[in-house]
Order: sequence, then structure tokens, then C-alpha cells
Amino acid sequence: MQLQTTRFGTIEIDLNEVITFTQPILGFQEYRRFILLPGPSAYLQWLQSTDSGELAFLIMNPKSLLPSYALQPAPHELTELAATTVEDLDIFTLVVIPADPSQIRTNLKAPILINPKHRLGKQTILDRSDYPVQYFLAQPQPSTTQPRETTNARSDA
Amino acid sequence: MLVLTRKENESIMIGDNIEVKVLDVKESQVKLGIVAPRAVTVHRREVYLAIQEENAKAAGTAQVEDIAKLLPS
Repeated sequence: MQLQTTRFGTIEIDLNEVITFTQPILGFQEYRRFILLPGPSAYLQWLQSTDSGELAFLIMNPKSLLPSYALQPAPHELTELAATTVEDLDIFTLVVIPADPSQIRTNLKAPILINPKHRLGKQTILDRSDYPVQYFLAQPQPSTTQPRETTNARSDA
Repeated sequence: MLVLTRKENESIMIGDNIEVKVLDVKESQVKLGIVAPRAVTVHRREVYLAIQEENAKAAGTAQVEDIAKLLPS
């Protein structure tokens, strides 16, 4: 099947590669079928809707950013995605790239789960407060906080 | 919208397996207890809205040639 997309022109889609979402990406209820396309780097991919050529999300492997990123889907979620364990699933997070590079962020709170074998996916909401909806990729580095401390010390003096 | 008045420790049933109980009422805050099957997801509405809004922004990401350069490698 051919699909006309705004970002990638006309692309040929293998229907066997289409991933069906059991739960929608919130706010996009009517778009349930997607394919994965290579992104601009090894850990970035595009989730292109096959229902609308205009709709695509840039997604990343959150572990490439936070190696400790982990989640435990509820048993009914594993069943829903025809998975036995979390290892059967690929985990992605949506990336937002605004004009200001310091605002580049990813949504750790509501990751996308995909079972690549059975071609099923969903967006889930994690029940934990340490994974924010907006996780900024440009986190303050120790080298940038140190000069600030020096400034404070100077103003105290 | 259906409107029901409940007192502390009273509850309502939604269908036959979801119970919403008023645990505590203090000034302008109401503490609710929810008993529902695990397959029913319960979240604060503002969490839903924040995710929906962020999803809409993610969908606005265009094809940018040098996105990779902007991300830590």
C-alpha cells in the first residue's frame, strides 16, 4: 500500500508491519494504526500514522537517556498487548522539539509500549511521580551549576 | 450531568464493579477512595490533560534534518 506523508513523501507500506494500537495516543483517538520509520539517529524513530499521512510522532528509546528507566505493566496490559513479560515489549517515549533547543523534551510519564512480534501498541500512563510529562533533555550539568554557586559566594562576600 | 449528594463514608457505584467513596471532606478538599478492577485506569484529570497537550505538541514535530545534533549522543 502506498501512503502519502507530509514528512517523508510517498512511501510504500508493508501491511504486515502495521502496528495496531489497542489504546490510543491520548488526543488522537481516531488514529490507531502506525508504522515505525527510521529516525535521524540510532535511538530515534518516527511513529507514522497510516490513517493520516500528516500525523507522525518522533519517539526515542528512553533508556538511551536514562539507563535506569523501567516500568512494570499491569498483567491486563501485558495481555492486551499479547505479551508475557515486559521484555516482550519495546518501550518508547514521545519527543517534543520546539524551536528553542533548551526546551527539547520527552514524556516519561506516558510511554508508548509496542509488542513488535504481534504488532500491537498502546500509550500507557505510569503511576509514579518521578517520571515527568516533560523531561528536558538539556538537564543542568554540574559545570553550569558550579559557576552559579561561585556567583552566590561572591554576592555573599 | 448526574448530580448526587453524598456524606463522608457514603459512596456511589458506577456499573456493578466500580465504587467511589467519599473518605473525608475538609474545607475545600474531598478525599475519594476508588475501588475498581485493575483494567480500569484511574488518573487525575489534569494528568490526562497534560499528557494530551504534550502529545499534541509531539505531533507538531516536523522533519528536522539535524534533530540528532540537538540531542545528547
